[in-house]
Amino acid sequence: MGNSFFTSPDKALQYLLEKYQVKQPGSITDDGVLEVDGKGITLLPWRMERRFIELKKIIDDNTLEDISTFRFALLTSSSTASLDDLILQELDICEWLGNSPIARIFAVFHEDNAMNAIVKLENRFSCSVECSTMLPAGAANIDRHEIIARRGVASDQVVDTHVPQSSIYTYTPNNEQCFTDVDAEIFGLSPKNIYLVRASFQVLSEPRLIDEWAMQYRRLLGLVKIARHSETDNKSSNCRGCV
Amino acid sequence: MKPLKIAVMSLTHGHTRKYYQTLKDNPKLDWVAVCAENDEVRDIFEVGDHGVPCYMSETEMFDAHPELEAVVLASANIDHLRQVEECAERSINILSMKIPTFNMAEYDRMIKVVDDAGIVCQIELEMHYNPVVHRLKKLIADGEIGKIISVQATNITLSPVWAFPWQGSPEESYGKRVPLNDASSRFRGGALCDHPHIFDLIRWLTNSDIDFVFSEIAPNIRPELEVEDMLLVNGKMKDGTIFLLDPSWSRMEERLKVPAPGWEVFPKRMEVNLTISGEKGILVADCFGPNVYHNGAPNDRYTVQYTYFDEWIGLIDEFVDCIRNNKQPQINLKWHRQTIEAMNSCYKSIASTRAEKVI
Repeated sequence: MGNSFFTSPDKALQYLLEKYQVKQPGSITDDGVLEVDGKGITLLPWRMERRFIELKKIIDDNTLEDISTFRFALLTSSSTASLDDLILQELDICEWLGNSPIARIFAVFHEDNAMNAIVKLENRFSCSVECSTMLPAGAANIDRHEIIARRGVASDQVVDTHVPQSSIYTYTPNNEQCFTDVDAEIFGLSPKNIYLVRASFQVLSEPRLIDEWAMQYRRLLGLVKIARHSETDNKSSNCRGCV
Repeated sequence: MKPLKIAVMSLTHGHTRKYYQTLKDNPKLDWVAVCAENDEVRDIFEVGDHGVPCYMSETEMFDAHPELEAVVLASANIDHLRQVEECAERSINILSMKIPTFNMAEYDRMIKVVDDAGIVCQIELEMHYNPVVHRLKKLIADGEIGKIISVQATNITLSPVWAFPWQGSPEESYGKRVPLNDASSRFRGGALCDHPHIFDLIRWLTNSDIDFVFSEIAPNIRPELEVEDMLLVNGKMKDGTIFLLDPSWSRMEERLKVPAPGWEVFPKRMEVNLTISGEKGILVADCFGPNVYHNGAPNDRYTVQYTYFDEWIGLIDEFVDCIRNNKQPQINLKWHRQTIEAMNSCYKSIASTRAEKVI
């Protein structure tokens, strides 16, 4: 199977479950939902991205010392995700990388198109979160996750660039293309589906995550709601007690 | 056109050395003199062998050069009002550093003395003469991304305080000692005071004024500083555009007394990047890139060597044009007032933990 080319997330998941002899069964529907016993399971698939795992390792291993600020951005097309989806994802990355719950948020919104937030974690890290859905349909996402500390800066963006880079670029008479493949074991799927499969595999391998992620997702929905009200309140909204 | 007789005062501002090349090269200028704040500053200046006399007092320089028509105020913020008044009395035109003062009563006094004297006072906001910003403005004016709805902008740099200590002094930078908030042992006067450009740019790009700001400080990455080095700002323009600004000193530096190669610890010592969402699309811009890169002397460390066009050429051209042809500079004291008000509102917000309206 080393050279398999997967086109179906579920086939990739079943391959992994069989290979690693995971007992808990589950399947991914055509709509991209993990189902266990006919019930949809909440996933936090971005936590499977290699770059975030490595950034987390850089934090947890104290490669950076005395962290001050996270600078996050996620720009996409409205056909890809809603603004609230983007905010939810970035707030989770704040808490997950920061190893701390969000204490307060002040956010400004332009309808359902764009949001700029300043977030404070309980551990005093500051985070800027910039989200927009104004990329044209079909455009690749633009994002950035930068961590600034007294000792060191870490980022998923190359120094002196301001858009994400790809592994391969082709320039042919047909058109220009770029490719960033991130998983050889379930090669062939898009990055989005790779993370869907990896997150599904993760919760089936560690079933305690089913409740843990569901609880975190509910908390994140609450945080998005709080962010939406902060401008009306004219102050940074307290997130303590948001469960 | 007769070359403008010009001098530089104090020589303590971080941008001072950026003027030297233009002062020598621009045929519209006749660089007559400088005066230094102290012996140390004079010694650093004289190493450059610029061929102009260096005086140790402003009065001495003015008396020795009654032909002077203009000066660059390259001094600490706390000295600006006194120097503006002195220049106005002598009908000498002024190119002021980017923060005239944070004290709005002083600011209004500056407007009055400049108006009464009938001199030109241009504020140094060099981004206006940056070719990437020119293109940015054109793309927006041409409707490439439609009406702007959101702007995110960075003006992040290393900290200049080791070479220019007044920038770490609350009194000399902000004008007085004001705690950032009740819980903080730090004071107003740090990174925010160094970075007005993005506040100014969002006003230019949107043709609107700032309605309100919200700001938070983050833990300092230089805990030994008395002033803030990390902060974030968001808010809304009067036309509804939302924004997010980062004016931090978030790029670490070697603590050099005189800026020189090897200053950077982070490979890129300065960035002004913008992400602008419009109703028809998104524009991302790096105002100082791409560049060239090396890992050579002195530290064998991967380093961005900037390639950007000298913005001081356009800045000086405008200054001379305004003086010779009785024009008002784009960035004059009255225009710039709301930018300074917005920065003051950031400090108020840090203290109040609320969004603050900008007057």
